[in-house]
Amino acid sequence: MDLLLATFPLLAPLSLGLVTLLSVREPGPLHPSVARASRWAGLSSMAVAAGVALRVAVAGPVTSPLLGVAGIGFSLRLDALSVVMLSMVSFMAWLLLRYSENYLDGDPRHGRFMGLLALTTACVMLLVLSGNLLHLVVTWTATSLVLHRLLLFYPERVGARVAARKKYVVARAGDVALAVAAVVLFRAFGTADIATILGRAETIQAAPAGLGIATLLVALSAILKSAQFPTQGWLIEVMETPTPVSALLHAGILNGGAFVVVRLGGVMLLTPPVMDLLLVVGGFTAVFASVVMTTQNSVKVALGYSSAAQTGFMLLLCGLGAFPAAILHLVAHSFYKAHAFLSAGSAVEVFKGGRRAPATAPPLRTILPGMTAAVGTVALMGVAVGIHPWDRPVDFGLATMLAIGLTQLWSRGLEPFGSYHLVARTAVYAVATSLAFFVLDAGAIHLLAGAVPTHVPTSPATVALMTVVVVVFAGTVVTQLRLPALIRSPRWAALWVHLHNDLYANVLFDRLVGALRLRAVTPLTRETL
Amino acid sequence: MPETTTHTWSDTPRSQGTLTLPGPAGTTSFRSDLEASAVLAAVERAARSIPPLWPLESFVAVNPFLGWVDRDLDEAAQGIQRAWGSRPHMSRDFYAGHIASGRISDRHIERALEGARARRAAGASWDDDPRDLPSDADALRRAAVEPAPEVRVLPTVASVASDVTGQDWARWVTDHVSAWASTYFDRGQASWPCPWAHQTPWGAWKAQMARDRGPELRGVVGFRDTVAGLPDDAEVALTTMAGELGLEAEGVQPYVARLLGTVLGWTAWVRYLVWEAELREETDTRLTEMAAIRMAYDVALLRGAGADGVREAWSRASVALTEPTSSEGEGDAQVDLLLHEAYELAFQERLLKVLDRDDGEDAHGVGHEDRGSAESRRDDVQAAFCMDVRSEVYRRALEATGDGVRTIGFAGFFGFPIEYVPLGEDSGSARCPALVAPRFVITETTGDPGGAAEQEVTRARRISQAVSDAWLSFKLGAVSSLSFVGPVGLAYIRKLVSDGLGLTPRRQKPASLEPRLDFRNQSGRKLGMMLIERVDAAEGALRGMSLTRNFARIVLLAGHGATTVNNPHASGLDCGACGGRSGEENARVAARALNDPGVRLELMARGIAIPRDTVFVAGRHDTTLDQVVLLDEHLVPAGHAEDLEVLKVRLEEAGRVARAERAPSLGIEDDVDRRMEKRTRDWSQVRPEWGLAGCAAFVAAPRARTRGLDLSGRVFLHDYAWEDDQGFDVLELIMTAPMVVASWISLQYFGSTVDSRVLGAGNKTLHNVVGALGVLEGSNGDLRVGLPWQSVHDGARFFHEPVRLNVVIEAPRDAMSRVIESHPDLRNLLDNRWVHLWAMDEHGKVTHRYAGDLEWMAA
Repeated sequence: MDLLLATFPLLAPLSLGLVTLLSVREPGPLHPSVARASRWAGLSSMAVAAGVALRVAVAGPVTSPLLGVAGIGFSLRLDALSVVMLSMVSFMAWLLLRYSENYLDGDPRHGRFMGLLALTTACVMLLVLSGNLLHLVVTWTATSLVLHRLLLFYPERVGARVAARKKYVVARAGDVALAVAAVVLFRAFGTADIATILGRAETIQAAPAGLGIATLLVALSAILKSAQFPTQGWLIEVMETPTPVSALLHAGILNGGAFVVVRLGGVMLLTPPVMDLLLVVGGFTAVFASVVMTTQNSVKVALGYSSAAQTGFMLLLCGLGAFPAAILHLVAHSFYKAHAFLSAGSAVEVFKGGRRAPATAPPLRTILPGMTAAVGTVALMGVAVGIHPWDRPVDFGLATMLAIGLTQLWSRGLEPFGSYHLVARTAVYAVATSLAFFVLDAGAIHLLAGAVPTHVPTSPATVALMTVVVVVFAGTVVTQLRLPALIRSPRWAALWVHLHNDLYANVLFDRLVGALRLRAVTPLTRETL
Repeated sequence: MPETTTHTWSDTPRSQGTLTLPGPAGTTSFRSDLEASAVLAAVERAARSIPPLWPLESFVAVNPFLGWVDRDLDEAAQGIQRAWGSRPHMSRDFYAGHIASGRISDRHIERALEGARARRAAGASWDDDPRDLPSDADALRRAAVEPAPEVRVLPTVASVASDVTGQDWARWVTDHVSAWASTYFDRGQASWPCPWAHQTPWGAWKAQMARDRGPELRGVVGFRDTVAGLPDDAEVALTTMAGELGLEAEGVQPYVARLLGTVLGWTAWVRYLVWEAELREETDTRLTEMAAIRMAYDVALLRGAGADGVREAWSRASVALTEPTSSEGEGDAQVDLLLHEAYELAFQERLLKVLDRDDGEDAHGVGHEDRGSAESRRDDVQAAFCMDVRSEVYRRALEATGDGVRTIGFAGFFGFPIEYVPLGEDSGSARCPALVAPRFVITETTGDPGGAAEQEVTRARRISQAVSDAWLSFKLGAVSSLSFVGPVGLAYIRKLVSDGLGLTPRRQKPASLEPRLDFRNQSGRKLGMMLIERVDAAEGALRGMSLTRNFARIVLLAGHGATTVNNPHASGLDCGACGGRSGEENARVAARALNDPGVRLELMARGIAIPRDTVFVAGRHDTTLDQVVLLDEHLVPAGHAEDLEVLKVRLEEAGRVARAERAPSLGIEDDVDRRMEKRTRDWSQVRPEWGLAGCAAFVAAPRARTRGLDLSGRVFLHDYAWEDDQGFDVLELIMTAPMVVASWISLQYFGSTVDSRVLGAGNKTLHNVVGALGVLEGSNGDLRVGLPWQSVHDGARFFHEPVRLNVVIEAPRDAMSRVIESHPDLRNLLDNRWVHLWAMDEHGKVTHRYAGDLEWMAA
């Protein structure tokens, strides 16, 4: 019975696998059987996720019996973390399969697309359910290999091949890093069962020998998986394949890195320098990629940089030991980014509706009140909710980052007419956002307590690094507000050129993989796709 | 077409003969005998072969062959292949399939060959064509199953360097130009925009490239030095570079045409900017600058592509630039075009059969009733629609609701070329055909101009705008976007569910209030329309649609628009005659003008007596839903309330019938109304409606000629009664405006069908909106022109039949000939076989086809 209950979650990936099986028989135009199966698979995955959530809520976390030998093999870990991830991925599976039903209509390989999409989401589900290191490494690699097929859905596109090749290089490096890390972890803890490892990590005083290598490699594979600087090149080019794949990648798979770090959070904590490395790499990419994003000119490429930045922010949160916040960010970003991609065709309407880049910079005397208002809003809401952000340095840091973001909103909200309606409506948005921030943060900690480390003590070094990040964040926002007044000066213009080219990281990556050696296969015309 | 060439190269002061170039150390300097003025003239001619590309927010259909219509189709086909690597015909297996299925029969092939022989004999095909025609039908049929000869595209240094080095420099150049252009022309995507966007393209490009280390890291040695060493003046630079490239004078035009063909989309965008500038009668050199920019890459690669062989290979390859176009063998499209001709002949046979209503009705005088004999019963309703092919289905359905309805086809802007400015905004958008500039600025009003209500609305809109701008800057800003996602991101699950299930209600545009017509001068800007202007426009509209007597009690003017979501090409489904926008504002303005007692009084003096009880009512025809709603009902007098109710019932009924007719083509079998409505809200729908796909003919004749015929939504219908057309002014207007617009639309669909890669926008599932103005396919490559593949193909077959437009006009042939003779652009279109023209006689029979050179032959 226990076995049955513990393996019940497998129904979710299995139902999606069924879609893949059907699609092998019907790879062409969408066959009703594939369409029906994909709808049911999406819905049943969500039902399964709900069932698992219920079980974990009632009976607590559990690891399924192992399929394997000597403690190495395949098992499912069911706890708050995997439930949250499974629920999110099931929802994405349903959403994306449903979207693709009409979106790919008329594509001569519509069936194959549905099958690959289902298979990829099934792999991600198995990944987030990992209970054993071998399971983790295998599903991690499998996800990436299946995704590779999707990235090459139009193999005749040179751009698709270049992007897939870059992704391939980065992903294999990540795979190797994670595999080696798994071996080292196994040797250090004498088991491959993740829950057991985490349990032991909690109790040991000093890190076992060689653990630093393991956590460093985990961090490295997470960094590679998350398209952190300077390997982001593949991520911003993968829109060479239909939009739902971009949505899946940015909202589902890119998170893999942050997920693994959080999953192994208890172990990662044992090596503070590795945590600080995540903080630094994540923090740098967060700022760098989000600035580069503002220089980009196409919707999907801008979204690509945005994803790199957001994933960087997740790693930054991991580095700070704020694992619940990282998972909250991960889930929220998935929904946000899936919607952004799937509705990317609305860009024209958005501009028709009058989105305008501000032509003038607000003067400093507007920015300062904006900053004050932002800090005030955040502080007041924190107090209102009964949270005192200054109690713990990390919480204080995160609240400050929110205030820095809201400075952007407030400076614009106080700016143009001084109309009190405008101020009032800006205040409503700012208050709601701050309130949501505190409530959700507390909620995430409450929900994930037990599954991931909460209230991690912060070392002075980490506080120092965080302070640097906060200052850079603040500087970036103020500079951004002042930008219209700066852009034409020669220095800023030159900086713009380099940033627009993402500091040439992608050009070098192109050379590395021999991008130009790939020649276009151009039939004079494509009668069918 | 505004062919106001504002560039006068001959008097350029810089044309000073021979130039000798300072080449970088170690490279050969070419001595050039190129005349600067000749180079610039050639560049200008080459640039004009690129068609304009309208922005996505007003995606007007454009004839992709616009720059080639001055050449015979056969000759143009070679040019198009050499310059763009494209073709104005389908692949051979398409025709072979139709031959096999019997759709193209022997007689069509025979006749296609006969036609070609006749053209040869008449010397109508291009000069000194040395090629032999296929000897007989069998030979042509055999050729259909043979592989087509290889494509012959002219070389560029980039393509030569690709061959020599094995690195795809050609692709790199296109990507690099495209990346630059997307920064420079960006209309609002990037919040940290290009710092040089205020300069002209050449200067901006030079400034940016002088700092861009990318090309050198990519392997182009000395790129920044090369750029820095180029003259600051684009025109001087062109001559300099042409010299370094060793071009011969006659090679410049084909070479530049090819260069621009490698960045066709962005050049088309520049061509659009120039087009708009020229409508405003401004001079614009941006096309020339674009050519200079692209040429600079060739120079940079010649110097720095890293292989000694490039220079040598280029000097060998560039010989092709000056070879005659008509050499036999490779790149020859003659067979393909003959096959295409046979394919179209088969289509025309069907078309003429449908149009030939040999039911003896004419003997009873269909025409006479329509031409207004006094005894005929007065119509209850006259309903004018846009000539758009989609109206045909609806009009037929409306007429079938019973007697007393007469429908009329006219250009959808109803003769009112306006710019419409919503309240709270400073400028508006043009609501008129691309061929003309808007003449009147119409502002939106609440009904109390300048009053409290209006100020309140204005203020509310501005505040909403400011709040939304502030929120977006938080959501999309550097760093702030990181703080945004955590607290707000989860809320997107609601949107995902709602959009995913199609529950999101259709986005209602902020209900437009009322158009304000009264003339006033506001800080130097003329707003509204003077009485005389309203009268002129009203008269033009009525005469244009041949509606000058026998007015019904209600005359409906139905503008049209489409309803789709998440569709970058949405405006392509709106009214092309209204600048790619919904036509309702034009209809509302026209109805107001025509109901104006002052206007009617004046019209009376001009011989158009509108009865006192005739009311013009504006409406909106939603083409996705096939639904017509009436607008401004409050302006209709109470006495007409009953007529209005009757009309509404009929419109409702017509909508149902029209939807049922269209449903099968969208794969809808049952529950038609609900499913069709759902389509308008489905964010994953790539074919919300078929638009104008299938358009194949244009008929300008009284509706009686086509009434009752099932034209399957494939024919543009423009009402025209030539007996009422003194001096044939209306005929001239129809042939030079609506007919040309229809040809643009038809050739856009044609181009997107025959070559989705170059002339179409490719695969919609890969589209990536760039610069808020166009789409890329994927992450890079050139800006895409034309229509997505999904708009012309249903997955199993091409939904659009690629035929050139068949124009059928009921008018005396000599009158048409006179119009053709006096309009060179129109004459090009017809004589060079881009459009077919047929003459209908006074009995409604299509008797003659235009054979070119002002000749007619029996059909």
